[in-house]
Amino acid sequence: METPDIPLINLAIAFLLFLIPVIISSRYGLGLLKPLFGSVARMTVQLGLIGIFLGYLFQWNNPFVNMGWLTVMIMVAVFSAIRHSSLRMDISFLPVFASFSLATLTVVFFLNYFVIPVKSVFDARYLVVLGGMLLGNSLRGNIVGISTFYERLREDSNHYLYILSLGATESEALMPYLRESVRLALKPTLASMATMGIVTLPGMMTGVILGGADPRVAIKYQVLIMIGIVTSTITSVVLTIILTKRVCMNRYGILRNDVFRKKTPVRKKT
Amino acid sequence: MHTPDALIEFSDVDLSFSGVKIMENLSMTVHTGDKVILTGRSGCGKSSLLSLVLGFVEPDSGTILFDGAEVNGKNVWNIRKKVSFVDQDVSLGSGPVANLFEFASRLKANAHLDFRPHELMRFFDLHGILHKDLKELSGGERQRLAVVVSVLLGRSVFFLDEVTSSLDGNLKKKVAAYFLEKRDWTCLVVSHDPVWLENDSVRVFDFEEKVWRHRTSP
Repeated sequence: METPDIPLINLAIAFLLFLIPVIISSRYGLGLLKPLFGSVARMTVQLGLIGIFLGYLFQWNNPFVNMGWLTVMIMVAVFSAIRHSSLRMDISFLPVFASFSLATLTVVFFLNYFVIPVKSVFDARYLVVLGGMLLGNSLRGNIVGISTFYERLREDSNHYLYILSLGATESEALMPYLRESVRLALKPTLASMATMGIVTLPGMMTGVILGGADPRVAIKYQVLIMIGIVTSTITSVVLTIILTKRVCMNRYGILRNDVFRKKTPVRKKT
Repeated sequence: MHTPDALIEFSDVDLSFSGVKIMENLSMTVHTGDKVILTGRSGCGKSSLLSLVLGFVEPDSGTILFDGAEVNGKNVWNIRKKVSFVDQDVSLGSGPVANLFEFASRLKANAHLDFRPHELMRFFDLHGILHKDLKELSGGERQRLAVVVSVLLGRSVFFLDEVTSSLDGNLKKKVAAYFLEKRDWTCLVVSHDPVWLENDSVRVFDFEEKVWRHRTSP
């Protein structure tokens, strides 16, 4: 089935629908006009640019360019994950970058090589689009994962020290915090997966079906994407914690105070 | 100077937190079998002394020896297996009491132990709390529970930070006597409770003045 293209003039007509929110906003004095125009403008410009960019990307379909763009996407995701945690960028960038890259690339290459019948694993359509899908989702998980792990460790420092004094190794002492963080990070993904198809019809599928694909094919893609998302999320969350803890803990197994962005008061009682 | 029966030796130790000096040139020695009571007003650094030996904080300068070896990132892990520590907040965590025993006994360092808490729990008046949540226990119950765990670890060095503060008079005596009567045990006790001083075997270190005191009757 061929997807009918939407002529630009028709797309412009779609913008007429915005008259309704505009009227509602001014009628009830919602004060939404400015943010509405701002957001609509940004959305249009950003999507327009990325549309043109992806067009070229698909046209060239050069493995190096595709890998380069995926690397940029990973870096942006890493910046965003760290900015939402309380860790310092300079200390945590490399470990988080390593974790995101490993988790995303493993899953993408596995799917592209073994599952999707595609000629090259570096094909732009699959490498970039699928990679972005996985990144976006593991990003959310990682924000929860890193924050929970380090915040709990900091708030709970007396209990952590008590565990160390019981004779625990560093990994034994950190294990309860790791478990809690990974569970929390995975919760939303697992919950949405369990209701998928009934409560949520994921955006990816809507796009593919509207784009003209057979729903049966769209669902197959959705299934493999969900498997990929869960795998890359859990892998990257665990890896991020394991790799960042190497720089965030000192040789005594104590959380370094200088790894946090804002200076934290010394909590140890005298 | 390292003497053969010296267990813990501080030499010229400086320690400060956020620019505030807690210890300056502290030198002191604790011998095996000593029962040392650390006294002095709150905040003068008594707990930090224990934290330094356990490697929870690092000194600005000076050296700390445990059993003749310097406390550093390498051997601190062994020291933590030799010392039973109860912190002043009794930070035992949450969940059922039984889980705490299970967690402690499942650590690799404690795999050789026979972890049977019942007799000790009866001795310290802790009946029927095994399935209660740690957060539901009273302060006194948690202190005694922490004491029970510390004894079950089968170690002979004890760092007890205010472990009797929430107990009533009889239990204070019972806990203090329990530790002070064991001749082989080395105990470093931070406490404002006079019961710890009612024993001829204790040595008192005044942490404010950093000097040993003759034991004064309470």
